[in-house]
Amino acid sequence: MLDRRGFLKFVGGAAVGTLATPVVWKGLDDLSIWTQNWPWIPRLDKGNNLNTYITTTSKLCPSASGMRVRLVNGRPVRVLGDVNNPLSRGGVSALASAEVQLRYSPARLKRPLRKTSDGTYVAISWSEAETVLRAELAKAAKDGGLLCLSGDENGTMNELLSALTVATGSSDFYLMPGEAQTTAAAWKSLGGKGRVGYDFARSDYVLAVGAGVLENWGPVVGNRRAWGQARPQDGEPAMRLAYAGPVQNNTAAGADLWLPIRPGTEMAFLLGIAQILFARGCQSAGVESFVQLASEWTPDKVAAVTGLAPERLQMAVEQLLSAKAPLIIVGTDLAQGGEAVPVILGIALNTLLDRINQDGGLRVLPVAEPVFSRAMSYGDMMAQDFTAAVRAVAEKKRPAPSMVMIYEANPVYAMPGGAGVEALLQNAGFTVSFSCFFDETAKQCDLILPAAMGLERLDDVSTPFGFGESFYTLCRPVAKPLYEARAAGDVLLGVARQIGLDLGYASYKDALEAKAARLGIDWGKLMEGACITSRVTLPLQSLIFPSEQIATALQGRLAQPEKGTLAVATLTKLAFGTADSAIPPFCTKLVTDAELTAGELSASMNSATIRSLGLSEGMKVRLVAGEASLPARVRAFEGVAMGTVALATGFGHANFDAFNNGKGSNVMDLFTAVEEPGTGLAVWRCPDVKIVKA
Amino acid sequence: MSATQEFRIKWGMVIDLDKCTGCGSCMVACQAENNVPPAEDGLNRRRALNWLLVYRLSNGKPFPDHDIAYLPRPCMQCGKPSCVSVCPVVATTKDEEGGIVSQVTPRCIGCRYCMASCPYHARYFNWHDPVWPAGMEKTLTPDVSVRPRGVVEKCTFCHHRLMAAKDRAYAEGRDPEKLPDGAYVTSCTEACPNGAISFGDVNNPEHKVHELIKSPYAFRLLERLGTDPQVWYVSRREWVRRLGDNYLNNEPTKG
Repeated sequence: MLDRRGFLKFVGGAAVGTLATPVVWKGLDDLSIWTQNWPWIPRLDKGNNLNTYITTTSKLCPSASGMRVRLVNGRPVRVLGDVNNPLSRGGVSALASAEVQLRYSPARLKRPLRKTSDGTYVAISWSEAETVLRAELAKAAKDGGLLCLSGDENGTMNELLSALTVATGSSDFYLMPGEAQTTAAAWKSLGGKGRVGYDFARSDYVLAVGAGVLENWGPVVGNRRAWGQARPQDGEPAMRLAYAGPVQNNTAAGADLWLPIRPGTEMAFLLGIAQILFARGCQSAGVESFVQLASEWTPDKVAAVTGLAPERLQMAVEQLLSAKAPLIIVGTDLAQGGEAVPVILGIALNTLLDRINQDGGLRVLPVAEPVFSRAMSYGDMMAQDFTAAVRAVAEKKRPAPSMVMIYEANPVYAMPGGAGVEALLQNAGFTVSFSCFFDETAKQCDLILPAAMGLERLDDVSTPFGFGESFYTLCRPVAKPLYEARAAGDVLLGVARQIGLDLGYASYKDALEAKAARLGIDWGKLMEGACITSRVTLPLQSLIFPSEQIATALQGRLAQPEKGTLAVATLTKLAFGTADSAIPPFCTKLVTDAELTAGELSASMNSATIRSLGLSEGMKVRLVAGEASLPARVRAFEGVAMGTVALATGFGHANFDAFNNGKGSNVMDLFTAVEEPGTGLAVWRCPDVKIVKA
Repeated sequence: MSATQEFRIKWGMVIDLDKCTGCGSCMVACQAENNVPPAEDGLNRRRALNWLLVYRLSNGKPFPDHDIAYLPRPCMQCGKPSCVSVCPVVATTKDEEGGIVSQVTPRCIGCRYCMASCPYHARYFNWHDPVWPAGMEKTLTPDVSVRPRGVVEKCTFCHHRLMAAKDRAYAEGRDPEKLPDGAYVTSCTEACPNGAISFGDVNNPEHKVHELIKSPYAFRLLERLGTDPQVWYVSRREWVRRLGDNYLNNEPTKG
């Protein structure tokens, strides 16, 4: 039994004993360290601070930004502009600027993955992956059922992929729909040879219709460099710019004249210009065929359709006529799935102003023959319509392919929601994706192969769409591929050879060397970072402007919007990624309330439109188009045409990374693929939307 | 407010707002150059630090007379910096030839007085330790230390580039205090595809910016506060210049 004295002895002994041990002092010491123990933050790896620079060209940025990559002790750390690049002339886009950091995106694919029967993924070795690929490709070669889609816009890789597709007995090689195909379709329908380029840098007046020439259209970095250099801070501008489009976007911000027109009314606007030009006596061979068609498009009628004040239309024409080297560029803000007839009208206006094959005008560029003997020609590739092929499979007008191979493209995210890409992938016998990122499309494929990024492989860029000169350069690797990524070109050449499909080259480098030899360019110079340009043009043949096609297409676009509905305009920024990428981690700070409000898409409208619909700023709404519906928040922005709602693209990724997932919605869910009346081209169109209070 | 300290060399930036189209290339280049961490949510003001931030300006008119402009905002490197006089630990000073307002983060105690006093909101506080996605720390440049939580940071006109330019001049036997035009430019200047940003010594007649700041269209932000910024803006649009300061209704716009 413990008595009082015994208890006090025990407590006293325990106190003395505790103080005599180091436990208390050690504990207090640990506690003080713990309170100061801040988490790890990176320390700079200075090494011997050896700086080296490698010049290369971006495969990520569609404008082919020339880059001077800074490496410290062999680590790429910065992308700088390359002043010696004749296209971008020292400029670099926000997208290309973030490319070095994008290599470490959390979405980066690290190793080959195979989808299991329960829908999960298991990591496999490259050797296993190649075995599977070999077997599936051999099967596809037997039934000729390979369908191949490429997200590359300007490389020899497309020749390799098309050669492989043709070698397996299929003709289903496609490029992701883009502005290049639309323009090529327009040019082909006029009977034009070669390809179209726009000599932006030498023009003194550019009228951009729908084309975001200062943000995301064509060789935008080159455009902006030329535009900036023609506008010295201490002098008068040597180039002026007018932009016709429904939203005051970044291109409109730099334009001297903004011509607000409702979405989908570009044809009426262009015919309105043609009408005034005809009335002012402008004539050109081949264009007479639509004098009559244009004659009814008086400024008042154009105003009724487009919403553009007649005096602004007149002003644009006066400026066009007073310029020495005017240029008209027609495109879309989305830079994908555009209509061909407006482009035809743009070419017609350039013809009317005698701007074909002129300095600062529209130039007809030659096209090099492919180096892969079985590859499709440039013209054939451009004529392949992926949207139409997907629709044909969805409508069961053709059988589903036995194998689908996707190279650096994310059609599940980037194509219209109703296009049927997911159904194509589900119905195909086997699907394989070569991708840098574990994106929405890769996640639906049976075999996912990690591709080396543009900075990690030898590749090339051949005349980016829209550039007014022929251009060729190599993309030189600045670092080894991260993780287990590999260059797809060499993997495919190897696999093809093993199943008896000899494409003519042992390695992709050999193919590039052959390409350089065909173009008459010294390989050594290319490997030193040289960019080769040529201003050679093809002689202009007489163009035949199909006035009936134009009239048919026009009729399809003249339907008045239903009362209470709004036309949708997109707002695209290059920094928010492309069709085969997403917002790079270093570009999230560029997102503003113009794009997202409280995590939802900003539905930007001018205040008159908001009032007319009984809405108020900040209100939660849903945009409804048929069965599709998107959540959004109303935002007042006076730089939007009447009866129009502007929505930012590049958001709503479901399966990318923490820098993208759960932000806003994918505008493409509202879009559908339809056939353009007159040309039959599959184009992407967003129906007018109803705005419903959420 | 500090007394004006005159410098023989005064590094200054001139931004042509009529040439800025808001692409954000300057912001990305700034982050990458100065080891500013990326933010999962760029709109989260507690997490996102921006040494350079592009604001959108509006002329306030309804459609169709509406006009927009973009205004990149670095630290103004004020001649009379209000941040310097309030710093209790001399973590931010303006005492070096060239007139760049320093930010010595190891000295900073995180009181944020400087943030409160800066009229341009150019200073940012690290509420959290910086985080890069796994592996991305390999892209950090060796030029600018990574800042921990609890300190304020801001644009330094890429001061490390000035040091490098001076080192180059020493190595090549040139006078490091007489750098030629273009020998030292900030990362944002270099990155802008439009060439909207010019940079140089505004006191040096051989530097382009020396003339550019004399433009009748040049102005500085909140100039009448007397902070004497070393960043000038240029716009031929009167409404843009008018937004640069707090004008009374009956006051004419400068320029």
